[in-house]
This record gives sequence, C-alpha cells and structure tokens, in this order.
Amino acid sequence: MISLPIVDGTPSDSVRKLWRSRPHLDQDPALVEQVSEEFIPGASEAPGGGNRRQFMQLLGASMAMAGFAACRKPVETIMPFSDRPEELIPGVPLHYATGMNFRGVTRPLLAKSYDGRPVKVEGNPDHPNASGSSGVFEQASLLQLYDPDRSQTILRTGSPIGWDDFLSLCQRFQTLTRRVAVLAAPDHSITRARLQAQLETQFPNTRWIDYRSEGDDAEALGIQMAHGQPLQPVYDFANADVIVSLDADFLGPHAKNGNWNTASFAQGRKLDGDQMSRLYVAESTYTATGTMADHRRRMRSGAITRLASRIATAMGVYSGENPDAFASGIARDLQTANGRCVVIAGETQPAEVHALCALMNYALGAVGTAVTLLDTGAPAQLPQSQSLPALVEEMQAGQIDLLLMLNVNPVYDAPPELNFQDAMGRVSDTVHVGLHVDETAQASTWHIPLTHYLESWGDGRSMDGTLTPVQPLIAPLYEDARSEIEILHALSSGQSARGYDLVRESWTSVLGEDDFETAWRRILHNGYLQDTGYPSVTAEPAFDAALPESDSGLELVIRLDPTILDGSFANNAWCQELPDPITKIVWDNVAVISPKTASDLGLVCEYSKGRYYADVITLTANGQEVELPIWILPGHADDTVSVTMGYGRQIATTRPERDTPFWDTDDATDIYARGALASGVGTNVAKLRNLLARPVSTGVQLTATGRKWRIVTTQDHGILDTDARPLIRMATMDEYRADPAFALEDEAPTPGSDVKTDFSDYPELWKNQHPAKSPAFRDSDYWQNQWGMVIDLNSCTGCNACIVACQAENNIQVVGKKEVGNGRELHWLRVDRYFLTEGGENLDADPQIVMQPMPCQHCENAPCESVCPVAATVHSPDGTNQMIYNRCIGTRYCANNCPYKVRRYNFYNWSKTIPETVQMAQNPNVSIRFRGVMEKCSFCVQRIRQTQKRAGLEDRPLHRDEVATACQQSCPADAITFGDLNDPESGVSRAMQNPRGYKLLAELNIKPRVSYLARVRNPNRELEPAESS
Amino acid sequence: MSASTDKTVTLPAEPPLVTGNLGFHDITQLVSYHTEKRPPSVWYMTMAVSSTLLCVLMLMIAYLVWNGVGVWGNNNPVGWGWPIVNFVFWVGIGHAGTLISAILFLFRQQWRTAINRSAEAMTLFAVICALLFPTIHVGRVWVIYWTLPLPNQMEMWPQFKSPLLWDVFAVSVYFMVSLIFWYVGLVPDLATLRDRARNAFRRRILGFFSLGWTGANRHWRNYEKTYLLLAALATPLVLSVHSVVSFDFAVSIIPGWHTTIFPPYFVAGAIFSGFAMVMTLLILARKIYGIQNIITMDHLEKMAIIILLTGTMVGFAYITEFFIAWYSQVEYEQYAFLNRATGPYAWAYWTMMSCNLLFPQFFWIKRLRRSIPFLFLTSIIVNIGMWFERFVITVTSLHRDFLPSSWDYFNPTIVDILTFAGSFGLFMTLFLIFLRYLPMVAMAEVKMVLPQSDPHYYDKHESEHEAN
Repeated sequence: MISLPIVDGTPSDSVRKLWRSRPHLDQDPALVEQVSEEFIPGASEAPGGGNRRQFMQLLGASMAMAGFAACRKPVETIMPFSDRPEELIPGVPLHYATGMNFRGVTRPLLAKSYDGRPVKVEGNPDHPNASGSSGVFEQASLLQLYDPDRSQTILRTGSPIGWDDFLSLCQRFQTLTRRVAVLAAPDHSITRARLQAQLETQFPNTRWIDYRSEGDDAEALGIQMAHGQPLQPVYDFANADVIVSLDADFLGPHAKNGNWNTASFAQGRKLDGDQMSRLYVAESTYTATGTMADHRRRMRSGAITRLASRIATAMGVYSGENPDAFASGIARDLQTANGRCVVIAGETQPAEVHALCALMNYALGAVGTAVTLLDTGAPAQLPQSQSLPALVEEMQAGQIDLLLMLNVNPVYDAPPELNFQDAMGRVSDTVHVGLHVDETAQASTWHIPLTHYLESWGDGRSMDGTLTPVQPLIAPLYEDARSEIEILHALSSGQSARGYDLVRESWTSVLGEDDFETAWRRILHNGYLQDTGYPSVTAEPAFDAALPESDSGLELVIRLDPTILDGSFANNAWCQELPDPITKIVWDNVAVISPKTASDLGLVCEYSKGRYYADVITLTANGQEVELPIWILPGHADDTVSVTMGYGRQIATTRPERDTPFWDTDDATDIYARGALASGVGTNVAKLRNLLARPVSTGVQLTATGRKWRIVTTQDHGILDTDARPLIRMATMDEYRADPAFALEDEAPTPGSDVKTDFSDYPELWKNQHPAKSPAFRDSDYWQNQWGMVIDLNSCTGCNACIVACQAENNIQVVGKKEVGNGRELHWLRVDRYFLTEGGENLDADPQIVMQPMPCQHCENAPCESVCPVAATVHSPDGTNQMIYNRCIGTRYCANNCPYKVRRYNFYNWSKTIPETVQMAQNPNVSIRFRGVMEKCSFCVQRIRQTQKRAGLEDRPLHRDEVATACQQSCPADAITFGDLNDPESGVSRAMQNPRGYKLLAELNIKPRVSYLARVRNPNRELEPAESS
Repeated sequence: MSASTDKTVTLPAEPPLVTGNLGFHDITQLVSYHTEKRPPSVWYMTMAVSSTLLCVLMLMIAYLVWNGVGVWGNNNPVGWGWPIVNFVFWVGIGHAGTLISAILFLFRQQWRTAINRSAEAMTLFAVICALLFPTIHVGRVWVIYWTLPLPNQMEMWPQFKSPLLWDVFAVSVYFMVSLIFWYVGLVPDLATLRDRARNAFRRRILGFFSLGWTGANRHWRNYEKTYLLLAALATPLVLSVHSVVSFDFAVSIIPGWHTTIFPPYFVAGAIFSGFAMVMTLLILARKIYGIQNIITMDHLEKMAIIILLTGTMVGFAYITEFFIAWYSQVEYEQYAFLNRATGPYAWAYWTMMSCNLLFPQFFWIKRLRRSIPFLFLTSIIVNIGMWFERFVITVTSLHRDFLPSSWDYFNPTIVDILTFAGSFGLFMTLFLIFLRYLPMVAMAEVKMVLPQSDPHYYDKHESEHEAN
C-alpha cells in the first residue's frame, strides 16, 4: 500500500509554524478550537441542514456521479516493482543452479525462472557430472512442484493443525528419553547427515533407515561382499569398447545414474572414426539398454545368473558353470579389450552376481578405466531386508515412540508380510512428511507437507560425490510445507529453524569461516563445489561363493517404472501420459510376458478396431495376489513376467470434483476432474514381494480371470520388415566400413538429388515461385539463419527425456487415457518404436527394437502448407514450418497431408480445465492453444527468437550453436543436433555431412530439414559369422 | 431394286413418354392438385420423422460447437472422418439433378421432363446438406468466413493453393447456378398455380414468384433462350464440382488419395449415386401421388440403364487404381490398396465393391430393370455402396499411410452417426416441403412432350378428339 500524505488539518512537522502561545504549540485541543474559531460554536453556520443551492448541487452531482460509475471498467492495476530486485527484468528469465535428489544421487540442475516462477529445468552444463542434459524425471519434477493434489496443510489424524503444535510435540520429546525411528528416502545431503547426527545425539537409540521402495541395493551389497567395504561404483562407458550387461538397464530413464551412463555410452557410439563400442545384453525383459545391444539374449533373470557364472568361468576368475559358446565369446571379447571393457549387473541380480562382476572387472583391468570405485566413507549398513523387519518388530513391541517418515511411502510399498500399517498403530506418534497425503500419510497420526526441491534449501552429492547445493527458486506454495532438514532440526532440537540457516551452517564447516560469503555465493552460482568428489580406490575384490540357484518355472520380476519410478511420480500428468519406452503403454501397468509364454498359458491380448483388450490375470506370488492385465512383448524372455511398481496409488486430495451438465464434456476431458490423477491407475505390485523384497520371485502363478481390460498405447504393434519401407536404415559395422553412405544406397530417386535419373525435365510445382525465392524471404533478417536438425539413431536410446522436455517447454497439454486411446495425444515429439526382424522364421520370437524420434521435419516443400485454406501454416524465412494458432480454423487437412503425422490437433479445449497451479507451470513464451487448432513442433521457435533478441541487444551476431531446442538440450545421449545450416562450421552442418545421413521419405520431394544418421550394429564376428558376409 | 434405293429407315415406334392418354388439363390437374389440397397422411408421417431427425441434427451441431470436434471419432491419423465422407456423399447425390436438367436437355433426351423438377430439387437439398458438413467440421466454426476472400483490415487472404478453398467456390457456384436454373424452370408452372389459386394471399405470393408470366409468345421465347443458356452454363459445372471435390484428395500426397484418376471417377460415382437417389424418391412419390402415368416405368428403366453404366464405370476405376498401384512400383501406394482390400477395413471395401460394381450388373436383365421392388432395393443399395466408397477413400487411406508408427483405427461415435442420420432429416424435410408447395413435375415441359403437343396430332386423332 502506497501511503500518500493526507490533508487532515493537522499541520505537518516539516512546515514552518506560527504560534500564538505555548498551549497552542502544545496542541491543547480545547484551546486550539478556541483560537481557530472567531465566533462561538454554531454562530457562523446557517440554521438547518443544507440550503437550497447545496441541495441542488448535491442532486446534480449525485446524478452526474451515478453516471460515472458506468463509464469505467473496474480497474486492475499492474504495478511495476517500485524497488526492482537486482537483475530481474520482467519477461527475461533468470537461471539458478540447483539440484534434485534422485534415488539418493543429486542431479545437478539449472532451473529457469520467469518473474519468480520456475518454468523449466535443465541439466547444469557447468557441473562435472552433467553435460547440461537431463532425464525424464528432472524434467517432470517441475510439474511435481505445481501438482494440484500436493498436500497443503499439516494434519493431525486427518484434521488441519498448525506447525506450532508439531513443534510442541517435538519440545515435549526433548525432555524425555524416547526412542525415535526414521525412515528416509536415500539422500547424501551433508546437512541431513549433520542433522541425523544431531538427532542421534539427542536420542541415542535412534534407528535410521534409508528406505528404498525397490528393496535392497544389490549392487552396493555385492560390492561390499567382494571388497569388504561399501564402495560406490561409477561407470564410464566412453572408456569401454566391450560392455556386458547382465540384466542391467543402465541406460534406462530410471537408472540411478542414467543420464551419465547414457552420455558416456553414447560417446562410444558416435562413430567419428570407424570404431564403435560393442554392447552385449542379456535381459529378462526388453529395456532401453536392450534396444542398443549389438548382441542381445533374452533369458530369465535366473538364467542370467548362470550366464554370469559362465562368463566368469570362461575368463578363468571363477569356477562355476561350464561356459557355452556365447559366454566364451563374450569372455574372449572382454579379455582382448585391454581393460577397456566393463561387466555390469542389474538390480534383478542377486548381490553375488554383483560381487562376481566386481571380480571380473578387476580381473579385466577395467577398474580405473571404465569402472571407478568411490569410497564414500560411510560405514557398512545392514541391508534393508534385515533392518526394516527389525524395526517393525520393535514397533510391534511398542519400543518406538515416534516414527518419522521422510518422503517415503512404506504403507504402499513395504512388503506386506511386515504388516507395516499395523505396526504403525503401535507407535504413539507417526509423522509422515511428503508431497501428498498418500497411503502412509493417511495411516499416520501426523502429516507434514514436504517442500519441493525448487522451494527449499538443501544440498547433496552428485554421482561422484561432488557437493552440490540445492537452492529454491520460489517460496513454498503452501505455507505449512517444510523441508526434510527443517523437520529433522525441529525434532532434534525442539526449535524451528530456517532451511537456509541449516544449510549455511553445514557449509561453514566445509568452506570455513573466512570469506564464507564469497565462496558460498560462488557455489550457489556454479551449482557445485570443485574437487569434493569421493576418493577413488582400487581395492582387490575377492569372491568365490556359490551363486544362488534359481528355480525353474515362471518367475516374476518387479522393476521400477521407467515413467513413474516407484510411484513418486505417479501423480504427475506428464509421467502418466509418457509412453513406456518399449511397450508405449500409457496410464497403466501391465504384466509383460513373451508371445510364447502367452500361448503356453493361453492368454491373449486382443486387438480389435484399434483397441487392445488384454486378458486380466491373477498374479500370485509369495502368497499375495494382484490382478493385472497382460501385455505380450516380442523379445521378452520366456517364462518371465515383468511388472513395474508405482501404480495403484491412493492419494487423498481436497480438490472438488468437476461436475458439468450432460451436454458439456468438460468433466470427461479434464484429467484432473476426478480426484488425484494417480488414484486408481493400475495396480500396486509392490505387495507381491516377500520379506526380502527381492525384485525377482519364483513360484509364480498366472491364472486368467476371464475378464478383459482396455490397454492404451500410443503406438500399434507391428513388425517392420527390413526390406520394405526404408524408414530405419541400418547396417553392420562391416557394411559400414565398406560403404559409409550405405543409408543412401537404395534411396528412391528424388528431383534435385544427385542420383542416376535426370530430373531436369521433371516439372516442379513451385520451381520458380517457391516461397524461399520470394523477395519477402530474401530480404528478411531471419533469412541469414536456416535451421536444421540431425538425429543420430545410433546413440538414441529412446529414453523419453526429449518428450518430457518438449512437453515442459511447449505447454503441451495432457489428454488422459481415454483420449490417448482415441489417438488424440498431443506430444509434439514422439519416439517411434519399431520391431525389426531380418528374415527370421518366427517373427515374434527375437526381434530387434529400434527407436526413431520424430519431431516435425520442417519440410522445405511442406505438404501441410499448400493445403491450408487460410494460410495458417506457413514457412518462415529461416526455413521452419510455422503454425499460426490464431489463424487456424481447424480443417485438419494439414495433418492428413503430413506424411510423418506429426501434427497434433486440439480436439477439446484442453487448456480450459487445467488447475490453477498447473497453469503456473506453463511457459509464458509459448501460446496456450485453444480447441480446434492444430499444433506441432516449432523447432522451439521461441528459443530461437529469444536468442536472436539477446544477440541483437548485445549487438553481435549469433554465436555458433547458440540456440538449443528443448529436446536437444535434454538429450543425455547428445543424439540431437540443431543449428544453422547456413554456417558450414555449425554442429548441424557438420552432422549433415555425416555419410550415414539420410532423410526420411525424401522421395516425396518434400525436402525435410531433419536428417537421420543411420544405425550401425557392431556384432562380434565370432558369435555371428554368417551375417557378417 | 426399289428396296435398296429406299433410304427411309423405319424407326421402331418410341414408346409414349406419358401413358394413360393424358391431355393437357389432365397433367395440370394431376400435378397442381397436390399443392392445393391437404397432403396425404403418408406425407404427415414422413414429415414427422424427418423433422424429428432435423431436430436431432440441430442438437448434434449444438453439442459439437459447444464441446469441440472431439465429440466425433476423428483422431490423429484420421483427421477427416464421417463429416467429410458425408460431404462427398451429399455432393455426389447433388449431381443427378443438374445432369438430368442440363446435359440431358442439351442432348434432347425428352424423357427427362418427367423427372427433372424433382431431381433438381433433390440436387439443391443435397447440396445444402453437403455444404453443412465442411462448415461444421472445422475446429473453429465461428471463423469459417476466413475461407472467403473478404477484404479485411488484417490483410489476411485465403490461400488459393488449397483444394479446400477451390471446394468452397466450386460447391457454392454449383449451388447458385442450380438454384437459378431450377427457379427459371419453375416460372411457367408457378404461373399455372397462380391462375388456379382460389385464395388471394396464395395468388399474391405465387404472382410474385411467377414474375408476371402470362404465357405470351415473347415470354416463351425468352424463357426457352434463358433455359438453353443456363443449361449450357450448368453443364461444365456438373463435371467441375465433383472434379474439384476429388482434388481434396488427389492433390494431397497420401497414398490412396494421390491419384489422377479421381476427377472422372468421382464424377461417374456422383452421377451413379445421384440417379439412385432420384430413383428412390420418385418410386415413392409416383406411387403416393398417383402419377405413374407421368413418371412411367420407361423412365425408371432409363435411369436403371444409367445406373448400370456409371456403376460399371466406377467399378472399372476401382480396378484401375489397383493396377496403377502395382504398376507404379511405389511401396506405399501398393500397401494402401492391399490394405483396402485385406486390411482392417476390408469389410467396408467389399461392401463398396459388391454394392457398386456387382449389384447394378443385375440391370442387364430387362425383367429386373422393370421390377419396381428390385429397382427400389438397388437404388438404396447403390447409395449405401457410394457412402462406403467415400468412407473407404477417406478413412482407409488415412488410417495407414507412410509411417507405421502412426497407424491407428477410426471408430465413429454416436454423434457421428446421429449427425449423419440428422442430415437425412434436413434433406427429407426440405424435399417434403417441396412436394407440398411446388409442382413436383415440370408441367409445362411434360406438356411439350405430350403427343397432343404435335400440331398435327388432331389431324391424326380427329375421332379421339371428338370423343373427348
């Protein structure tokens, strides 16, 4: 409120005063009145009220004033900052370095904020562990912040209560000797570690468990088994020529170091010279890693354990099973790689296999090159499968007085044998801290809303241990929300403290008191503290125990979900609608089985009129039953059932349901209309695990229920015959060496290309009147840049990061399961998945999966442009095909005529129903589309223009490769190159020169601006002699 | 000798165009009578059904505009679904009228006189139905006028390369020329009605629309000239409209659409379906209104022959498309046609094939050509087949094109179905209003082809005349 001087008769102090007497100066009211009036009160006023004139004046004025009221709209003033915060220019984004805790590892980020509102996160390009790329979950974490179902108030047995009440609970605790137990999501924050120590000092009998919903960390246990101490391995696949994955989906979006793994793996697949790494994958389901394999074997995870034993035996480091040709081939290939190789086991494998891998890597000389073992200095911990049951036992015995659950959801995902919810009832105070009022919150006596990482101070350690600060970009959206460290501090001290002070306090011990402020500011700016990584060690492992035998028969493998993880992203619309990288299923979880297993069990996934109706089965394992629809995936291992966690959530929300009259479809099209998004989507499979919570269970039964469930995918099934449509072009390494330009070999003749046929007589529709030749184009400043893109199919893993990045950048709305089923999803960028077989007899048995990201190809002769009756889609002088939403009347002719089918139509008014908080997540630089208009990839034109504007303000030309599209920026594999084709030295121009380049459907003479680099497989000649000829 | 030099060829006697030995007054009476009395109860029943369907159409359009195009079954690969299928279907039906009145007029096919009025009316109403669909199928119907070249301060102009824009012009020009042609033909008959009118109000209205027609020699001369000129003007339009409609498909690059055979094939198909619709309507009308002597079995048989001819032509086009797909060696093209015949929409394809190519072949048999129930059945089947032809072209080409990753299936919704059904309500309501208020047969023209109109008729038929 601006305070203005008000004329109120009292003289202001600053004015010179005349005074008659001391009492006058001292403002005796009686005297003031006396001296200011010449006559006695009442003597100078006219008798009665207003006189005739006054009456007439008032009457006239009232009439006039009454009229004024209609003259103006209510005024809503947009006020500029009266004190502008430093560096804040409205409309110009600010970037802050921060970090997100992902499965215990902090992923360094750079978050973009518009006028104090974070709208996009990217990888921190300066950070030693991130190349500026980011994965699915970092991108989607933005929407977590704006999730309309986030919990907003502190709850005590379900009713709102204040922070002070919680604080008094903490204070009551201080005075007594109580037993506290903490279940916390894994995090390597130094502040949290400090507060953990503080808590343990205050309450000496504290039990602290880093709770992982997926169960024991087999890798950590295996390494501990082999080395005798807890070491943290980090893999550098760029330093490996031979990579063997034993059911390790290290390239998957949900892999702990997925971004780093993908980036380093992709470096070995760039084919700059004529060398490329070779990847062997043995896996029980089809994963992103499996799609990149040069040799892939599908087998039960139990059989993979045996394969590990065979390889190790063939290498001579272990005496296990007799090696077969495949195992000895791999072993020989590994041994000739001179230490540039790595064997990596996955989460489905028991700790012993991980120990064996450590042994093999050491024997191969890979430790130091492709494998780095980091000493975190943390003491060896009991595996969760032992500590958690012990805790539950104590809870049952009433030995725990307070259970604090930090960002975990054990009621939902702890093994059912523990009967965790029942045990919680024996604890007098159970405090749940989380983003949602989830299953655990509903069972707890206390619930405190957790702040999002973009709202709170914190810190953490990135993949190699580098200290990374977490700084907020926005004040907590909900007043009651507290960060983990604030709550820990409250519990351990009974005092309230700000997160900022807590973090600073911890960092003072790191940075020292002297000149702390400068160092601290620099760290916040850079987003990391140099040289704080864990020290690496090269200890010799020892392992000769027997590997666990697995039963034959049907096995069940429970994995984290590649789109919603363990369920923590289940209420995230972007994640729910993100197609699974392999099955392309959205909004559901399924029991994936191979075609053979399906036919053995007599199960079908019926395809009728564009819709999949899958058999619903009862899956029985470890004495528990769940009902799930099946999904038949070619290339999946036989006798294995794969399921993913994170579905079947029950999240409470306070939002009212949307209810519209029968003639209004808003309630049906609004995905937020009926409670929390995640509630009721899919089935919880975490409860199929036994006490050990192992991902693999044997002795599993599948029984058909006779019911069907509709499954929605963004893509049809279908085998792509290699000889037919040349959409994905690929060759083996030998073929590539013989002819690097193999991709163009069978290219159909196109006018203008240098092929055999002479097209000089061929009439071209726009030859002389091509828009690109018009003066309006040539004279435009934009003409100087011609944008193009190259996508390398050899390094794309299909991890989906680009899709979510595009969604976040371009305000792409989410349409829900039903509408995706109607074929109306709005993703501008999709990743096409094709199954590929080369002349096999059984097409379904062992296909290869190939991925092809498909943005708008920005054709120079764009077929969409010529058919639009109102010129709503036109070409820009800088060579992009642009969509003018305001002009579009929605004939959909352009979409029909697009050979790539990349145009997306707003069948309903999706943006009308998005909740207020989700509106805050929208990028202010991109129009929100109304219903009835077409939309599509714009090559992130807003980024191009913004960069050009910035360059213009700085009075300089654009730097080389200064503009990055959202998909390119996020891609961990660096598979997308975007830039200016007019600059012969730009990244994209050089990539266009790549001999593997080809353009999709070039024969239509539409001149796409996107090129693909063909895939090359690098098979081991020893294992595949026939095909190499 | 004399036989060989005698050049006179004795033509087989043409069957009379009007049977029952009707005189001029009989014709006037037979036709005008229906506009002057209460319509038969069948009319009321049909009207009740039609106007109910019309209401359904209105409700469906309101629902559509309120909620968006999502209420239909259209999806991402199939951007055009039923609305465009219906559009092409109705435009096709709207072909027969002008063909009958203009082209057959120029070719002096006098049998056209009995059916041209109602065929033309049917044309107009079908084109109204057709125009409805592209209008409501756009996403933002409130700015549909942007497709018109209206000068505006935004300096926005339509994009003339788009076949959709050509459609806008082609169909609206066709509608306007057909309307004028129909109205000019109506003038003498409206005057006849005016002269018979008993009620002053009716006389005033009809007097206004009959443009002061007195039947003077001068009026007839101007009328004949105008009619001839309009026929000449309308003739190229008959061919152009459906050619332009076919460009919507042919100009695109989608396999199955991108083919040069479309214009002639669409025109043949349009005439085919138009005649079938005329036949459906007239078989009912001549029975209900008792004008079997004016619209005779010979008329129906002639229409059946045209249906046989054009049906065979479209069938030929179907087969040619397959040949060209094979001959082109284009992978995508070949797949598009194989997919039509064997893919998920094979049922639609084979419905189309049997209705359009096979079924009309029964018309080689004269007995079937003259069997009213069979003609009626065939006329319905042909229109079902032609609707499926447009469905096959539109939907099967779109649902699987270049990239298999985007392949999908199209399922219509209840709104799709009710909107289509509702368009029949619009069509039938308009047609019933026409039957009620306007002469359904061109009386003046039929009178011209009566034997009595021969100046020497009474020389030959003195006795009959006397008898009368």
